[in-house]
Amino acid sequence: MTISLLPDNPGAWTYRRFEDLYAIPREERETLQLEAVRINFAKLRNRIPALRKLADRQGVEAIDKLEDVLPVCFDHRVLKNYPIQIIENRDFARLTGWLDKLTAHDLTRVDLTGVTTIEQWLRRLEAYGMLVTYSSGTTGKLSFVPRSYDELGPWKYHFFSVNRASSGVDPWTTKLPTFFPGYRGGYQTMLKMMSLFNVEMAGGEEHYHTLYDTHIPADLMALSGRLQAAEDKGEVMNLGLDPALLEQRQQMLAQGRSREGDMEAWFGKLIREYRGQRVKIGGTFADLYRVARAGLDKGMTCEFAPGSILQGGGGMKGYKDAPADWEDQVKTFFGVEHLGNQYGFSECIGNAPLCDHGYFHFLPYTIPLLMDAAGEALPREGVQKGRLVLVDPIPTSYWGGFTSGDEVTMHWEEDCPCGWGGPRASKAIRRFAENEGGDDKITCAGSQAAYNEFMEFVAGEA
Amino acid sequence: MEPILEIPIIARGRVIMPGDDAVQFRGRGGADFRQADPHKHIHDLVLGDTAKLRDLHDTPMLEIIDLLVELGKRLRLDDNELLQQSFALALKAGGLAEPILRGVYDALPHMFERCMMIGLVDKTIGLDYIDGWVPGSGPYGNVSIRAVGTRQLHITAGNVPVVAAMTVARAGLTKSDILIKSPSNDPLTANAIARTLIDLAPDHPVTKHIAVAYWKGGDEIMDSQIVRTSRIDKITAWGGMSSVRHIQKFLQPGIDLTALNPKYSMSMIGRDTFASEAAMDEAAIGLATLAGFYNQTACANTRLVYVESDTDDASLERLAELGRRMVAAYGLLPPLLSVPFTTPNRELEAEMAAVALEDDFYHVEGDTLNGGFVVSKFNDRVEFFDKLNNRVVNFVPVDDLTDVLKWCDDTTQTVGIYPENIRPRILDAFALAGIQRLVSLAGGDPMTVYANSHHMPPGSPHDGIEPMRRSVRWVVDMRPADQGAALEIAAE
Repeated sequence: MTISLLPDNPGAWTYRRFEDLYAIPREERETLQLEAVRINFAKLRNRIPALRKLADRQGVEAIDKLEDVLPVCFDHRVLKNYPIQIIENRDFARLTGWLDKLTAHDLTRVDLTGVTTIEQWLRRLEAYGMLVTYSSGTTGKLSFVPRSYDELGPWKYHFFSVNRASSGVDPWTTKLPTFFPGYRGGYQTMLKMMSLFNVEMAGGEEHYHTLYDTHIPADLMALSGRLQAAEDKGEVMNLGLDPALLEQRQQMLAQGRSREGDMEAWFGKLIREYRGQRVKIGGTFADLYRVARAGLDKGMTCEFAPGSILQGGGGMKGYKDAPADWEDQVKTFFGVEHLGNQYGFSECIGNAPLCDHGYFHFLPYTIPLLMDAAGEALPREGVQKGRLVLVDPIPTSYWGGFTSGDEVTMHWEEDCPCGWGGPRASKAIRRFAENEGGDDKITCAGSQAAYNEFMEFVAGEA
Repeated sequence: MEPILEIPIIARGRVIMPGDDAVQFRGRGGADFRQADPHKHIHDLVLGDTAKLRDLHDTPMLEIIDLLVELGKRLRLDDNELLQQSFALALKAGGLAEPILRGVYDALPHMFERCMMIGLVDKTIGLDYIDGWVPGSGPYGNVSIRAVGTRQLHITAGNVPVVAAMTVARAGLTKSDILIKSPSNDPLTANAIARTLIDLAPDHPVTKHIAVAYWKGGDEIMDSQIVRTSRIDKITAWGGMSSVRHIQKFLQPGIDLTALNPKYSMSMIGRDTFASEAAMDEAAIGLATLAGFYNQTACANTRLVYVESDTDDASLERLAELGRRMVAAYGLLPPLLSVPFTTPNRELEAEMAAVALEDDFYHVEGDTLNGGFVVSKFNDRVEFFDKLNNRVVNFVPVDDLTDVLKWCDDTTQTVGIYPENIRPRILDAFALAGIQRLVSLAGGDPMTVYANSHHMPPGSPHDGIEPMRRSVRWVVDMRPADQGAALEIAAE
């Protein structure tokens, strides 16, 4: 049976069952998606200052076909194109001014009196109506997703739905005690989602177990590079930071050193306490494998009740030389039948669940497109490999078109044996590197490109 | 499908061509290549017995230089077939445009000029110290010192032939035994030079102490077999610690490492530059030359320009005007130094586009084909400063040039300045902060600026150190005091 959806309100699509959404015939879905993007772009083009500037520059007035949206998608760098100096100087008026260009909300009216830290700033924004979260890349610079309460409903419905898709358990009706070997609270995207959604999915705070009760303050992450440099020069005190923050930094460093042992002890206790019960385990696959390996080495396996689930993420980043059968080892140790997994980026609401046949299927309210190295659209047919662009038509307070740094293989024909429809991405996803294998530079030059190439060369990856 | 290159291992005068049991390697930017399995030739690559260095030790330096001068004459691109192959591969790799690359190859023979090499040895080691024992003076006449050759591993990099040529020359000039580990993106050049030497003088001691091979970075068997105090005394690694990431576990006391780190370079512009149109033009040409030569692929290229300037709109507009004049001056550079790019640098363009949306903080002009610039509207560089390439630079206003000290460290190689009157107030402070070379942007035409910033006497420091002086062993011979005195008298 086909379902009726309106292009004017893609947020409401998230209220529908994912099975029904996947079942929409391709032609019908693409017509709906194009119309939704067309309407959303028209609504936001002149309301979001940064989008207006980009669209003016690119000469894009309207969207007539899906590919028209490519030149007006924000590069992922746009969400962190403020000068790091603003953060170092804790100039929250200017940071707010920067963020104001990314949202339809009028942030000039936010009361910034007394705000001295990023954490306070994010709380103040939340009180105002924003739900801004951040993520930090390899450089430590924070990128801020300008989300607001306007998107909360669809965000939550989608998240519950995608969790049912990847685990088979409906979190609306089945509350499972949850173990998450990480931090708690704050505005880092994953942690904020945990507070907003996962705690409720677990049945309340007391059923949501984290390794630590606190989180790394955003201020410490943002200033990590600067702090290290200042420490080397013996100038940390000159930075004028709150002594409590510096104290916290020392605690975090100590915590980092004892993390592996802490995690084993913490998991060990939960495994004993929850023996025979149905549970949910979350975390990065690297951490989960570490725990599984340590347990298996001691001849242990968990004895949770059947129907327990495991949701991982982050691939094996942070674990070097994992054995080929690491997934089986994780399943064996935790006693689960399959490993739930999702793919997406924090800029877009609709991450894609992994099916039993190893593909991430996109739901209709997340529209994937692929570009080649030159930024040209690749055809939406057959199997294509390129740089992934996701267009999220749900947001009403910010623009949802983003160009990622990921190279993805998309299967456009809807013939996955798992039965789910929609375009799907292969599991092998990696950073998009242009001209890989060529474009050698004189490597005495200290440019990042030259440096990376040299690293690859000596690492034997060349 | 690219043809697969057949590359020999050079083993001290012998050319070992890949046979049936050869191994195929993945090249970069060029073609894949086959070489005899290096695992089966470890003993051909290393010198376990130091007594075998005696032949080179006993050869007079002037005789070695005679040989290298002859070698230099045979390194002309036009009539050296092996170098032509290396040139073709480098061209295909696409790092440098044809006219620039040709200029680099054409300069090779000049590296082997007699006066250059004599100056190099004499300045950094001393001709008398490399050829014999040099007694001390006065009461220390009994103490003699000699510079003795060593066994060296050179982990070379890059797709220009300079590094390979320099390495071969230094082997002879330090009377040392060298093993060159070729990079996968240039498996040919060191080979070509070594084979030219074999053709020239197959039995000369210098020829008998040069080995060249490729093995994959991180090949533990190779590294563990080669990097031993019984086989290697010195390692020179281009690219810093990253290049020794894999062999560092085998490093131990007794093996001396010279790491030639990746470097950044910059320029500084004093307030007086904006006093006249002529001064602005002169500075712009200087910047275009230092940012543009070799198409900004070298460590000495300016990527950041710190300007003594306020940050009001009028001052920032003057910065942008300086940038426009610099980009215009790229057109004055001869093709030998710089040419427009034919393919854009998408990564850098994405960075430029991202900050261009933020015009409260940045002003962006130009592109990665013809060059361009980003003006920071506040006192800090762009965060992607380490990706600045394709003749794109970042102008950063500072209240005072000494504010720039905080961005200087061991990775800051060359600093161009304008006008000259700022030199006295910055020289020592910046030297202490880590910079390695202060040059001038003055001159008013590209070839003058280029010459002023490149023509150093032979034996000048490289990246703040004297690699040649470090790569020999300084041995002391102490006789009883009375014998030394007697020798001194006898010598008179």
